[in-house]
Amino acid sequence: MWKVFGPRTDAAIELSLAGNSRAFVLDATGCTIGVKDVSLGVHPGETFVVMGLSGSGKSTLVRCIARLTELTRGQILLDGLDLTAMDERALREVRRKKLSMVFQHFGLFPHRKVIDNAAYGLEVQGVNKTLRHQRAMEVLEVVGLEGYENHYPQQLSGGMQQRVGLARALTVDPEVLFFDEPFSALDPLIRRDMQDELIRLQRAMQRTIVFITHDFAEAIKLGDRIAIMKDGEFDQVGTAAELISAPATEYVKEFTKDIPKVKVLTASAVMRRGGDVDGSRCVSFDDSVETLLPLLLEDPQPLTVLDAGHKPIGSIDRAVVSELLRSDR
Amino acid sequence: MTTATAPTNVVPTREWVRTWAPYLVLVGGVIVLQWSFGSGGVFPARGDSVLESPIDDAGAWLRSNRLSHPVFTSFFTPISSFVSAVISGIGNLLLWLPWFVVVAIAFLIPARVRMWRAGTVAAGALLYTGLIGLWDETMRTLALMSAAVLLAVVIGLPLGMWAALRPRVELAMRPVLDAMQTIPAFVYFLPLFMVFGIGNVPAAVATVIYSLPPVVRLTTLGIKRVSPQAVEASKMYGATTPQTLFKVQLPMAVPTIITGLSQTIMMALGIVVLATLVGAEGLGSPVLQSLNQRRTGRGIAAGLAIVAVAMVLDRVWRSFAVRDPSQRVTRRAGLLTIAGLLGGVVIGRALGSVEFPTVWDWSLFDPIDDAVVWARDNLRWLTRPFSDFIVVRLYLPARDFLTETLAWPVVVFVAGWGCWRVKGPALATFTVGAMLTIGLIGMWELSIDTLVQVIIATILAVIVAVPLGIWVGRNRRMEAVVGPMLDALQTIPSLVYIIPAVILFTVGVVPGIIATVLYAMVPGVRITALGIREVPEESVEASRTFGATPRQTLLGVRIPLAAPTIMAGVNQVIMLALAMVIISGLVGGGALGFETVRALKRSLFGWGFEVGLALVLIAMILDRFTEAVAQRMQPPSATA
Repeated sequence: MWKVFGPRTDAAIELSLAGNSRAFVLDATGCTIGVKDVSLGVHPGETFVVMGLSGSGKSTLVRCIARLTELTRGQILLDGLDLTAMDERALREVRRKKLSMVFQHFGLFPHRKVIDNAAYGLEVQGVNKTLRHQRAMEVLEVVGLEGYENHYPQQLSGGMQQRVGLARALTVDPEVLFFDEPFSALDPLIRRDMQDELIRLQRAMQRTIVFITHDFAEAIKLGDRIAIMKDGEFDQVGTAAELISAPATEYVKEFTKDIPKVKVLTASAVMRRGGDVDGSRCVSFDDSVETLLPLLLEDPQPLTVLDAGHKPIGSIDRAVVSELLRSDR
Repeated sequence: MTTATAPTNVVPTREWVRTWAPYLVLVGGVIVLQWSFGSGGVFPARGDSVLESPIDDAGAWLRSNRLSHPVFTSFFTPISSFVSAVISGIGNLLLWLPWFVVVAIAFLIPARVRMWRAGTVAAGALLYTGLIGLWDETMRTLALMSAAVLLAVVIGLPLGMWAALRPRVELAMRPVLDAMQTIPAFVYFLPLFMVFGIGNVPAAVATVIYSLPPVVRLTTLGIKRVSPQAVEASKMYGATTPQTLFKVQLPMAVPTIITGLSQTIMMALGIVVLATLVGAEGLGSPVLQSLNQRRTGRGIAAGLAIVAVAMVLDRVWRSFAVRDPSQRVTRRAGLLTIAGLLGGVVIGRALGSVEFPTVWDWSLFDPIDDAVVWARDNLRWLTRPFSDFIVVRLYLPARDFLTETLAWPVVVFVAGWGCWRVKGPALATFTVGAMLTIGLIGMWELSIDTLVQVIIATILAVIVAVPLGIWVGRNRRMEAVVGPMLDALQTIPSLVYIIPAVILFTVGVVPGIIATVLYAMVPGVRITALGIREVPEESVEASRTFGATPRQTLLGVRIPLAAPTIMAGVNQVIMLALAMVIISGLVGGGALGFETVRALKRSLFGWGFEVGLALVLIAMILDRFTEAVAQRMQPPSATA
């Protein structure tokens, strides 16, 4: 998909396809390329994180997917339905039933109580008050806001306000959730709480999530897959382990540099495939390398890595880990 | 532009030409025009009858067809009778209720959301009007203003919403709203009077027209100010455009809209007195009477009653902006109160104590009259030379210079030149066109007369207001003292200012100018103080760290940075001065103001129309010019 801001979008796309830079296109046509020929697919139940710095086009991307901004060229498909082709009414139906969004600055309604904020999605659908309040109360409990339903948003702290934003998104029971830098405005400690909260919720509900962030640590913590975005394009898409163990570009490498690999990489990502399988000491494929360190310190014998079906798929010894630790430094 | 005539033996560099060419054009133009048009400087009023006679005919036609023609029977008359019915309905209800019930209601509406002080103020204000014996007039004025404000809201709210949602509508509406606000209210009266006849209706309609702009503007502003994320969130949950508007945007805009209403009420207030001239009932007539009888005290008393009405309306409206339901009193208390009020009505009606018992009367204010009369008799040594100075040294020479010494083309040329320098060809074209129009319809001399009065009053007001404003802006304690005084001065109806001025200086140009200075000064002081206070503290501190003296900081940092704001204040001073100079036509200020009143009183429609047109054009020229000057003073802003 493409998103170009400006008067001569077609010309801008042609120039860009011919291999010119964003700055050149802006000079030549007066158009800013927000999203440049990005294609992505998000699997049901997956958390897909788009990470990029400011100006990389990540917010534009999510706004295009949600059709808050119209795409210049391309398609958005949801369960085979083309969102881009929908008229206002059909789009509204899809938004009511299937989509939700959490905003960076919360986007709460200050004139409504917490419970009426949470129930807003149901209210515009015409659900009666008793029913929607009942549902909103359930969700407020899930996000830890019971007892605050009759407060007004501005009476709550930033973290709690974003919980209201989260509750509002969950009340409509959406299939797809968009998060546009939801935790960027929060203090580091609160941010960590909210990330943990989201992980907990996602484990229980398994929604499809598109999550935008500028924080690489947040991306690898939350994302099943991560796309690194720069100048309107994806530099690399992959799991955290893939990005860290095999950064595709210098730009991606810059981000991964400061991330301790032993914490992020899993056993399966660093193991020697096949090889001698001892089978006396086994670890799971998704254990982080960090948890293996004590075991290897205790005993130099290699560890056997098992897959989800408990079949041995590889092994890890001290040499592998020390290589990893050296590259972390 | 050619500079070939530049008499110089130095080879002019480009820089030199660019700097001096405009001035050469100015001087050259003035000399050429003055020489060729000479001193017989009467503007050839070629279009004098082009407007006047058709409008007179239209007026005559309107008068004879008011009862029969379908335009009236099916359009204006229903509007007129509806508005009239609303006003007299509200008025009759207020007068039917026992006075103490009305006072109680004024207290209870704000009190129901625990705004105790506001309630007390509203009730106290009403009690005051009763105590000085103006209860009936107050109720009539309250009814007129409520109806006008209500109508302004009913019309303005949807317009504001429309403009907020459709940028093109806003763009189209802006010049209309601007014009509605710049045109002195006085000018509306004549056409409305032609269409609606005499009475409450033209007054209410004029009030609505005059007070509509703030409602529309602030509704639009309020809606547009709603955080875009909230609007997007609403959209994202599948809200329709009307759902978003009514559930999110409008409720979030309420505080701004209420501010608009407060302004509306203040604007409406200014019209009450003038409305008497087209036959409206209420508090205007005691003010006009006091003016005619030269009773300052009574004028002030009645003027304060008008202020009281504004306070009641303002407090009551503002209580509707409180949205926190926890503030509300309990339902049981509410029901009990309503029962109490009904009981009060029954008892009051049964006992026949409906009318406000006259406790005091006007005589309470006689000491003020005496004081002013004493001042007149004993301060002659001061007032006479002052008055002479203004008339003989300022007013007459300026007027004669502009109308007699200078040929009219010179005046037009200089004005156009100034506008070109300040803003550009568009404003210059507009100004020249407007001035030629004024001349062609035969309003040249009267307009210059009015303009001279406005300029003198503005200069005097600025001389007083800017230093005072700078002082107030730098001194918190001064602000605490002066602030409330300014509030009070601004709410008192403009005519009340004229009464003491007339007594001290007798009828003529001077009392009008004095009253204008006093009245127009207020926003000058306030906005200057605001501008000084808004200068960023860092800039001031930066100046101080370089060792600047307070004087250097004031002159080098504070005043330059506040200059655009101060200029905006001057703009307001000028607009108010114009409005007031017109009103002072009532006490011998002459010029366009007097002609407006005369046209109104004698039903000289065509003449009144021309006078009105001239006033509108003057107002627009002054407004645009000062605004352009203010813009030029703005430091260049960072480009996006």
